[in-house]
Amino acid sequence: MKLVPRPEPGVLEVLLVSVGAVLLAFLASLALLWLYGAPPWEAAAAIAAGVFADPRGFAEVLRRAVPLVLVGAGLALAFRAQFWNIGAEGQLLMGAVAAAGVALFSGLPGPWMLFAMGLSAFLAGGLWAIFAALLKARLGVNDVITTLMQNYVAIYLVDWLIHGPWKGKSAFGFAYTDRFPEAAGLPLLPGTALAWPGVVLALSFAALFAWLLFATKLGFEVRVLGENPEAARYAGVRALFTLSWVALLSGGAAGLAGFVEVAGTHHKLLAPLQISLGYGYTGIIVAWLGRNHPLAAALTGLLVGFVFAAGDVAKVALATPFQLVQVVNGLILFFLIAAEVFLRYRVVLGVRRG
Amino acid sequence: MRKVWLAAVVVLGALAFGQQEVKAGWIYVGPIGDYGWTHAHDVGRKEAEAAFPWLKTSYVESVPEGQAGSYIDQMVRQGTKVIFATSFGYMDAVLEAAKRYPDVIFAHATGFKRAPNVATYMADFYQVYYLNGLMAGALTKTGKVGYVGAFPIPELKRHINAFTLGVRTVNPEAKVLVRWIYEWYNPAAAKEATEALIAEGADVFAFTEDSPTVVQVAAEKGFPSFSHYSPMLKFAPDYVVSGQLVHWGTIYKDFLAKVYAGLYTPKNLEDVDYWWLLPQGAVELGADFGVPVNPKFAGRLKAKAVDHPIFGEISVYDLVMKLHGLMKDVELAFDPFQGPIKDRKGVLRVPEGLRLTKHQLETMEWAVEGVVGPWPNEPK
Repeated sequence: MKLVPRPEPGVLEVLLVSVGAVLLAFLASLALLWLYGAPPWEAAAAIAAGVFADPRGFAEVLRRAVPLVLVGAGLALAFRAQFWNIGAEGQLLMGAVAAAGVALFSGLPGPWMLFAMGLSAFLAGGLWAIFAALLKARLGVNDVITTLMQNYVAIYLVDWLIHGPWKGKSAFGFAYTDRFPEAAGLPLLPGTALAWPGVVLALSFAALFAWLLFATKLGFEVRVLGENPEAARYAGVRALFTLSWVALLSGGAAGLAGFVEVAGTHHKLLAPLQISLGYGYTGIIVAWLGRNHPLAAALTGLLVGFVFAAGDVAKVALATPFQLVQVVNGLILFFLIAAEVFLRYRVVLGVRRG
Repeated sequence: MRKVWLAAVVVLGALAFGQQEVKAGWIYVGPIGDYGWTHAHDVGRKEAEAAFPWLKTSYVESVPEGQAGSYIDQMVRQGTKVIFATSFGYMDAVLEAAKRYPDVIFAHATGFKRAPNVATYMADFYQVYYLNGLMAGALTKTGKVGYVGAFPIPELKRHINAFTLGVRTVNPEAKVLVRWIYEWYNPAAAKEATEALIAEGADVFAFTEDSPTVVQVAAEKGFPSFSHYSPMLKFAPDYVVSGQLVHWGTIYKDFLAKVYAGLYTPKNLEDVDYWWLLPQGAVELGADFGVPVNPKFAGRLKAKAVDHPIFGEISVYDLVMKLHGLMKDVELAFDPFQGPIKDRKGVLRVPEGLRLTKHQLETMEWAVEGVVGPWPNEPK
């Protein structure tokens, strides 16, 4: 058996290898569950019953997928331009802060309230990301470092707000803001905990980013900049301009995820780790799984959303330890990276003739 | 006495209602291996399960606040009839779920909102902190006692105030230096805070953080400390003086027995609020179960005498034992927050002859005289 290099793999190969890797990861996860005493068929049945048997269960998949798709689609765009945005977590939190600020202090009526919350969340997330893009384009500062460090600034900002100036009078001294007014709550799909406008937002933004990337001049510039910065410079691509747009959109989408979380689930600002559940970091996996295609990120976001929701079910129904979800996510990534070899090489079976 | 009553209720209930099995589930905010809050609740769960053959329990750990609702859904799907939610942040999720599942009984720890099928419960330490404070006051040589706090919320403020009142009963000039680390579990930050307090001259330590870090760092320098939440005597047997221990199992057993007996139903919990202290056995003085004071410190505590307004000339050791006995009394013959008490800004907070209500204790934001350090949300 030997490996023969092959040219650029086609869409079908990518799809086959990716699906195969995910299936293998699920099989490995079931094997892991077996070690905890749940036979695979029982585990699969319990998870299927918990996730698919009723609308509430399935809505949980979508509820977890919405922020992942928003973050993942935005990151797909950013990574295409080689803007290494590791700061989606911070951008999400800034979005949550902006939305909470509008909700708590603006007093706007009905739909205007939600619109203003969404818009300010988008801008807050976007501007938080543009900062790193400017530093990168102007001074060549490493964007991985700046975006990552900005996450901590955002985390401490949220902590300061909920312990200090925004601490709620009704929070009994605990670190929460007051509950948002009714007008600041996203409508839920009846009988579920899912804020359906979040689903609309996530799908619209994934489609918008795909359109931008593959059907507009900006998207072309993004791709050229990402694939060959030198060539882009000769071709007259304005790096500062392009990077700023990419950062605004990518950070803005993450900011919207923060808006959906606080307006759809929490209805208040709370501890940063409780607001986001690491969606900003998991979004990197989502984008990567979707090979930086925003529409594919909508699918992979749904997949990871399923992993999260299934993990929630397994924790209750099979009494698995809480770390299992991270292990399964890790396994998926592991198998995908390992499967990469089958995209670059063909496996040729046979005895080597000497 | 209470045990007999409990047993009678259970037997009668079983005879009268012939219930087969009660399925109870716990929703935990942290991992059960945290050696603090969640671990203690899980010990309580196991205790209840061991006590009642008709009880079947399950739990989920590390449940984020935004997910509590969906975990409750899953538990109800498994046939769980009694759900204990063990974090303040679950309050809204519990009340929403209680409307969704009117036949399920919910009990919410540390919360204040109830419903026909939602009770609340809390085991509080403030009396125990006062006793620890008495001992800390006797042991400090520099007159500075260090306190590493997790979050500046009323629960901790109440505890630090009670602790400080104890310290100053024995040592009226002593100060309690407070540092906040803004996390429930962060050994690195706890270590830093302890070292900073040592640098400021503190020589006795108490804390609220879910690891034995403060105990260990203090012991390395040879300073005594008071353990928190779980038994920590074994981490520094020569340096841990006492501490506070919790018995959530006491509350869980009482609650579940009454559910089994049909006394608690999904219709009559509106006024069921456990605020259990020393008399109910929900909390205990000590760094290990059954050891209220480390015998290695008995000598030093007996040697230190104070002139006490009630008992006159008395050793700190005897004072601790006397007040411990009084506070274990159901009639609450003694309370640490007995007026007059002024806050550190000079405002009279507890008038002469009065005590604080449960609500005043639960919402305490002020700091007593002797507390030194930042105190967010301190009233003007």
